[in-house]
Amino acid sequence: MNLEPALEAFFAEADELLTRMEESLLGLESAPDDSELINDIFRAAHTIKGTAGVFGFDDVVRFTHEVESVLDRVRDGEIAVTPDVIGLFLRNKDHIGALVRAVAEKTDIDDAQRADGETQLAELRVLLGKPAAVPAATGLVAADKPAVGASAPDMESGSGNWHLSLRFGTDVLRGGMDPLSFLRYLRTLGDIVHLTTVIEALPNWLKLDPESCYLGFEIDFRSDASKAEIEGVFEFVRDECVLHIVPPHAQVSEYISVIRALPEDVTMLGEMLVASGALTRAELERGLALQAGAASAAVEPTAEGEQPAAAVAPPPLGEILVETGAVSPGVVDAALTRQKQVKDAKAQEARSLRIDADKLDQLIELVGELVVASAGVQNVAQMLAQSQLTEASEVLSRLVEEVRDQALSLRMVQIGATFQRFQRVVRDVSRDLGKDIELQISGADTELDKTVVERIGDPLMHLVRNSMDHGIEPTEVRIAAGKSARAKVMLNAYHEAGSIVIDVADDGGGLNRAKILRKAIERGLVPEENQLSDREIDRLIFEPGFSTADAVSNLSGRGVGMDVVRRDIEALRGTVEIDTEPGKGTRIRIRLPLTLAIIDGFRVGIDKASFVLPVDMIVECVELAGATRDAARIRGYLDMRGEVLPLLWLRQVFDIHSDAPPRRENVVVVQFGQTKAGIVVDHLMGEHQTVIRPLGKLFSSLRGVSGSTILGSGEIALILDVAGLMKMAVSGTTVSQAELAGSAG
Amino acid sequence: MAKTIMVVDDSSSLRQVVSLALKSAGYDVFEAADGKDALSKLTGQKVHLVISDVNMPNMDGITFVKEMRKLAAYKFTPVIMLTTENQESKKAEGQAAGAKAWMVKPFKPDQMLMAVSKLCLP
Repeated sequence: MNLEPALEAFFAEADELLTRMEESLLGLESAPDDSELINDIFRAAHTIKGTAGVFGFDDVVRFTHEVESVLDRVRDGEIAVTPDVIGLFLRNKDHIGALVRAVAEKTDIDDAQRADGETQLAELRVLLGKPAAVPAATGLVAADKPAVGASAPDMESGSGNWHLSLRFGTDVLRGGMDPLSFLRYLRTLGDIVHLTTVIEALPNWLKLDPESCYLGFEIDFRSDASKAEIEGVFEFVRDECVLHIVPPHAQVSEYISVIRALPEDVTMLGEMLVASGALTRAELERGLALQAGAASAAVEPTAEGEQPAAAVAPPPLGEILVETGAVSPGVVDAALTRQKQVKDAKAQEARSLRIDADKLDQLIELVGELVVASAGVQNVAQMLAQSQLTEASEVLSRLVEEVRDQALSLRMVQIGATFQRFQRVVRDVSRDLGKDIELQISGADTELDKTVVERIGDPLMHLVRNSMDHGIEPTEVRIAAGKSARAKVMLNAYHEAGSIVIDVADDGGGLNRAKILRKAIERGLVPEENQLSDREIDRLIFEPGFSTADAVSNLSGRGVGMDVVRRDIEALRGTVEIDTEPGKGTRIRIRLPLTLAIIDGFRVGIDKASFVLPVDMIVECVELAGATRDAARIRGYLDMRGEVLPLLWLRQVFDIHSDAPPRRENVVVVQFGQTKAGIVVDHLMGEHQTVIRPLGKLFSSLRGVSGSTILGSGEIALILDVAGLMKMAVSGTTVSQAELAGSAG
Repeated sequence: MAKTIMVVDDSSSLRQVVSLALKSAGYDVFEAADGKDALSKLTGQKVHLVISDVNMPNMDGITFVKEMRKLAAYKFTPVIMLTTENQESKKAEGQAAGAKAWMVKPFKPDQMLMAVSKLCLP
């Protein structure tokens, strides 16, 4: 039979039904009690399942069947319509769509979709697996059936059910224990899906002791309870009965994933298994006792002098546990692998040396002195102009440079560990917020100074939480906006032009500029009538005392604003930029210097004073002379090969007066991030290794200067804060420049 | 029909707490002050579960269980013995006498109800 023409109709119909299903689901959000909507949704799923079945699209049928079952329970009012349930149904709807599409295009759904489908099925089953009432006597009726023979317990139950293999001790009845009472109690934890009574142990009727118990049960048990909880049911008879609890398949993979994520301080195999829930404490103790027994048995011949000591090792715990059926081999393997990983990591640690941070700092300090001294030597060599001395000093300075780099690299650590901490934060906070957020980390191997790593944690924490709290929209809003329900927060680190860049980005709603502006006007941060550009509005969030949180949550609204983040980062000689696109997300970009101690500097001079610029930030140097100079003076910018280059006269910024105006001027073109500016100085004096000496607290509010350094000659030079200077140059608000233009014109 | 539980303890306040918890869970409860009292109250009753202290005047818990097991109607009745940490040796003796389930005092009512329901749901 050729179904081809009907197929087209099915695909079109499925499409239509799914669209209707989605509309009804979204409608259900505002009217969870609307039974007509629920009926609509149910009918859509039902029709798709039915028709797909006719065509033999088993994947569609199987998945939709589960959805339909849950919907049926929803329709009967047994499952409440919560946002979570609606969210799940929406995802179900998408998955059905994907399945149908795959059939239509004669392809297969990809692995990610398949995995997603499995997750959804699991979630649906959770909804189904907690029946409001256990149907009476499910298990106990089955108990009356004749035994089909007990099979040895599989190590891993193939189905979604636990498998319990239970043999009661002969004395339980005499101890006042009724085997059935435990089964009754077991039913309070879940559903006994199937039960087989094992009567193999029953002796000949003549020998049968009516007061003894010969019963055993093989039970398929559906439950969300943990292994320890299930074992606890048999607490009072545990010592005298044989009990194997075989977890459902899904549970086994759960154990394995928990084992993989265990902290590194759990290194004992048994402890790992207990921590993952695969093994109960009681099972572990029995296993250890068996091992100890085997060990002493192995040692005994030694005592009689027949064998050298320790010739026979006791069997490994893992083997014992697998043999006794306490855990499946897969789980033990996962634990052993994890154990090896941890050991390897420990071994790696042993190859590295722990050094007192103070000692390292002293070394860096000394290297700094060495750099200065070496610059001094070079200075002298140049003055004496003795070729041999010059050559020797060159060699010395090259070595000093290498020593400096090595010493500084000792302080460099990867940012990965700092980033990883956020996995947990994001997981916990997203749960608190009721949002589904995943953290994506890249550039974890990027290295930066230890001090920076230590001090960047708090600002990062604040930014990440801020992103989650304010950046990411509630799940419903995301779905309504056609975004994936699962939001992303991204942490990325990389090197760029002598800086470390750390991005904290989210795919949330972006900044609400209208709201920010309104708040800023309310707080008097900007005048009522203003002409702020989008970027300027974005930056307002870094202003002190600014917070737009409608509802102050315990996460972000703790009175620590973004201004504190900015201050923390600026204290590290870094900067913060913000880039936001409404509806798409926000990216906060932190730029930090590679190191805090020593930099390659470029020395420039104004009259007799020296200043140092970080070489990494310099693009080029050009002479400013003739007509260009005059034009630049008037305009305040330079035409750099067709590009507008704002200029900043350092002489004006620092108000340096000299008797005669300089004969020549030079422009040092610096780049910071994406912007360029020109700094106008008198002389260019070349590269210079610069040991940064922080300025005292007194100068903390000084703008344009980030530190000082001692030159080889013993003079002091100020290190220019390029970011700060550029802010002045780009905004063009320096008073001096206005004055300059006035005086020139 | 609700299940009947007998609580045997010489402390009347403990009996009360246990009784209240059990009653709230839907059991019928009656109390006895010691082993002797308990034995006399067993006859003519249908008790589904016994919760008994170990140390009691007149007749201690273990003797009581031994005596109780001699009565045909109570040969297989489940017993939960209440004990304190330092009575491990008593425990072995008690288990031999036919009291398999032991609970360490002090316990929370919830824990006790859970133990009871493992042996006998209301």
